[in-house]
Amino acid sequence: MAKVKEYGNAELEEKLRDTSYYTDDSNPQFLEDVKKISRTAANMCFQCGTCTGSCPSAPRSSYRIRLFMRKGVLGLEKEALNDPDLWLCTTCYSCTDRCPRDLAPTDVIMAMRNLAFKFDIVPRNFLKTVQLIYNSGHGVPNNDVNRAARVKLGLPADPPTTHSYPEFIPGIQKIMDFYKMKENADRILSEGEH
Amino acid sequence: MVETKNEPRIGVFLCHCGTNIAGSINIEEVKNYAKTLDGVVIADEYQYMCSTPGQSKIIDAINENNLNGVVVAACSPRLHEPTFRMATQEGGLNQFRFEMANIRDQNSWVHMHDLEGATEKAKDQVLIAVAKARMLEDLQPKSVPVEHAALVLGAGVGGMQAALDLANAGIKTYLVEKLPTIGGRMSQLDKTFPTLDCSQCILTPKMVDVGRHPLIELRTYTEVEKVEGYIGNFTITLRHKARGVLDPDQAAARAAATGILGTGCNGCGDCDAVCPVIKPNPFEMGMAPRKAIYIYHAQVMPLQYTIDFDACVKCGLCVDACGSEKNAIDLEAVDTFEEIKVGTCILAIGFDLIPIEEKREWGYKQYDNVITGLEFERLICASGPTVGHLIRPSDGKTPMKIGFVLCAGSRDNTGGVNKAYCSRFCCMYSLKHAHQIMEKIPGAVPYLFYMDIRSFGKMYEEFYYRIQNEGAKFIRGRVANILEDPITKNLIVNTEDTLLGRPVAMEMDMVVLAAAVQPKPEAEHIRQMFGVSKSQDGWLLEAHPKLNPCGTTTAGIYLAGVCQGPKDIPDTVAQAEGAASAASIPIHMGEVQLEPYFAMCMEDLCAGCGMCLNQCPYGALDLIEKNGRTVMEVTEAKCKGCGTCGGFCPGGAIKMQHFTSPQICAQIDAFLLKGGVN
Repeated sequence: MAKVKEYGNAELEEKLRDTSYYTDDSNPQFLEDVKKISRTAANMCFQCGTCTGSCPSAPRSSYRIRLFMRKGVLGLEKEALNDPDLWLCTTCYSCTDRCPRDLAPTDVIMAMRNLAFKFDIVPRNFLKTVQLIYNSGHGVPNNDVNRAARVKLGLPADPPTTHSYPEFIPGIQKIMDFYKMKENADRILSEGEH
Repeated sequence: MVETKNEPRIGVFLCHCGTNIAGSINIEEVKNYAKTLDGVVIADEYQYMCSTPGQSKIIDAINENNLNGVVVAACSPRLHEPTFRMATQEGGLNQFRFEMANIRDQNSWVHMHDLEGATEKAKDQVLIAVAKARMLEDLQPKSVPVEHAALVLGAGVGGMQAALDLANAGIKTYLVEKLPTIGGRMSQLDKTFPTLDCSQCILTPKMVDVGRHPLIELRTYTEVEKVEGYIGNFTITLRHKARGVLDPDQAAARAAATGILGTGCNGCGDCDAVCPVIKPNPFEMGMAPRKAIYIYHAQVMPLQYTIDFDACVKCGLCVDACGSEKNAIDLEAVDTFEEIKVGTCILAIGFDLIPIEEKREWGYKQYDNVITGLEFERLICASGPTVGHLIRPSDGKTPMKIGFVLCAGSRDNTGGVNKAYCSRFCCMYSLKHAHQIMEKIPGAVPYLFYMDIRSFGKMYEEFYYRIQNEGAKFIRGRVANILEDPITKNLIVNTEDTLLGRPVAMEMDMVVLAAAVQPKPEAEHIRQMFGVSKSQDGWLLEAHPKLNPCGTTTAGIYLAGVCQGPKDIPDTVAQAEGAASAASIPIHMGEVQLEPYFAMCMEDLCAGCGMCLNQCPYGALDLIEKNGRTVMEVTEAKCKGCGTCGGFCPGGAIKMQHFTSPQICAQIDAFLLKGGVN
C-alpha cells in the first residue's frame, strides 16, 4: 500500500500524509537497545497510565511518558527520538516508584535520550549545559544573586565544589573528553548556527 | 396447636429492610393503616423481619393474639417466603397460613424517590395481602419417592465430572452423549491454559474412569427423545442412533437372540482401511478426511467404530474386511429406543463457535489464511491433521507473523452475530496460542489485537505476564477489517492502536479469530423437553445467578458447563461438581416434598367433558370413572399448579389450591373497592 501519494505539492503531501502504523515502521532493535541501556524490562509495559498520572510534567505540557513506553514497545524509533517532549522529563522518578510492573519508565526516557544523542538529536539548552559543566564543573554555575544569598545566610560566597577548587575541573574535562561530549556539543551547536 | 377459629385473626408485619424499604416508604403510616383493616388484630414493624428477633415477633404474636393468618410485607417471596413459613409453623399455624406482600422489589426499589406514592402503593399491597390471608386454608405438602438414578446429558468434561461424582456417591448414572465418543470439546484442544497441560493427557484418564465405572451407564451416539415426569420420577426415552457396528456386549446379545455368531467390534480398523467413501472430518474442523466408517479420534471411549449412514453407500467392503469371526457390522441397523427412569437430571450440553463468517469484514471463509481458534488448536496439535506443524492453508508455508483477533464476535450487538456477552476464555486461549507459536516456531511473532485482556482466574494474570515477557505483541484496538493481498495471500489487519491514538495497518502471514461461543442449535429443543428457561442471550437459565447457579426453575433439573454461559475448564468442572452435589441430594433423601399448589377436581361440579386434558402442559390430568360418572383426576405429583386448567374449566370445577378463585377475587375486590364491600 502506498504510504505517500504524489500530489506534486509538498504542503499538501504533508497534510494528507498517511499516519498509520505499518509493520515496517517498527525497528525491533530499538526496543532491545532501550532495554539494554535502561536495564528495565520495557517490553512489559501494559499501558495502565500510572506513570503519566504521577508525572509532574504531564499536566503542564504535552509530555506523556506512557506514549514513550508504547513507542518503545512498538519499536517506533524515529518518532520517539524526534519528539521534543522526550526532553521534558524532570527525572523525579515518581513513575518508577509507582509502576505496578516494577519498571523504570524514567530510565527508559534516559535511555532514549542517550540513543537520541547518537543521532545528534539534543535540544540546544542541554548542549549549553554540557559546555557549562565542561568549563565550570556546574550545569548551573554560581551567580551574583546566589552569592549574595549565601553570604546573607552566613555561608561562604562559593560552595565547596569546583567553584572553590577549580584545580579539579581538568579531571571532569578528562571524563567528558573520553565520551566526546564537549566536542559533539560544540559541533552540533555550531552546525545549528549555519 | 393453637385453635384456629373461622373468624379471621391476622397479624401484619412490616419490614424496614434497613433503608431499602424504610428509606422510600413511611412504615409508620402503613402500619397504622393496616391496623384499620378488617380482620387485622395486630400490626407491627421491625428493622429486619428475616432476622431471629424479627421472626420471634411473628411467633410471639401468633401465640399472644391467637392469630390464624400472617402477612409479612417485605422483600420477594423467592428470597424469604420459606423463612416466614417456618416462623408461621413454629408459632403453631399451618405454614400455608402465610402471605407475603413484596413492598421492596415491586415498590420501594422502583419508586425510590416518591415517598408519598410508594407509601400509598404499600398500603394497597398490604390490603390485598390481608384480603387473601383472610381466606387462607391449611394445606399439606405432598411427599413423593425419588428414583435412585440420575441422568447426565452431554459427556464433555463437565458431564463426565458430574457423572463420576454422582456414581462415586453411589448413584446409578446414565451418561448420554450425542457423538460416538465421550470427551467433548476438550478432546479437540491441544494444551490448556495456564498450566500448559496437554489437554488429552489430563482428559483421557477421566474418560477411562467413566468407561470403567460400574455405576455409570454410558450411552454414546444417543439422544434424548422424550422427557416425562417430575423431580424424583423422570421417565426419559433415549434414541440410540443406528451405529451399524456392534460392541462385544451387543454381539453376545445378538448371538443369544438369533444365533448369529461374532465377537463384535474390537477397534482394529480393518473396516476403515477398505471403506471407499471419504468425507470431511468434523473432529478436525473439516481439515482432514474421514471414512464413512470411522472412530471419532484416536482416543475414543468406547473404542467402537461407527457408520455414518448419511455417507455410507452400503458397498459391503467393510463387512468382508471385518470377517465372520468378529462379524461386528450390521449395515441394516436402525435406531432403537430405551426408556430409563431417573430421579434428577443434569444438562451439560456444551457450545458451538458462532458462524464467524457472518462478520464479512474479517474474511473467514473468504481468505485462506484466516482461521478460527478451534482450527488453530487442531493445526498446532501433534495428533492433528498436520502433526502439529502450524502451516498457512494457502501455501503450506510456516507463518512468522500471526495476528490474533480477540473479541471476534463477542461483546458485539450487531452484524448478524449479536453476542453482547464476553465469551470469557478467548483471551486466555489466545495468550496460550501466542505461547505455542513462539515455542514451536523460532522467530515467529504473535500480535494480539484486543480490547481488554481479561485474565481473571487463578494464575491467569501471571500467565499474561509470562506471554508478554516471551515477546508477544499487544495492540489495543478491535480489528476493523482484514484485507488479503491477492498475490502473497498475506493479510492486512486494520485497527486503531488506541494507546497510541493512531490507525494501524499491519501485514500478517496468518490471522486467528477468537470466535465467540453460542449455544448448540439443539439446545432450544432440549431445554423445551426438560422445561428449562433460557436467558436473554440464549444460554440455559440458572435458578439464581448467584445463590443457585447450578439449579433451574424446574425442580430436579440442573446445569453444568458452558450450556449455562461461557466458562473455562476449571469453572465447568467446578459447576459440574456443584450440579452433581445438588442432583444427588434428592436422591439421597429418598423423597421430595412438593408444594401443595396442585389443581383439585371438585367432582360434584365436573361434567367429565375432558377439555382440560389437552390444556395441561404437563400431562397431569386424566379422565376416570368414579361412582358411575366420568370425572377428571389430577396426578398431583405431575401438576405444577400453573392454573391453565383452573382458568379454563367451563364448569368452574377445578380448584387451584392456595390460588383459589375466591382468594383471587377477594384480592381484586379489595384493591378495586378498597375494602368497602365485603
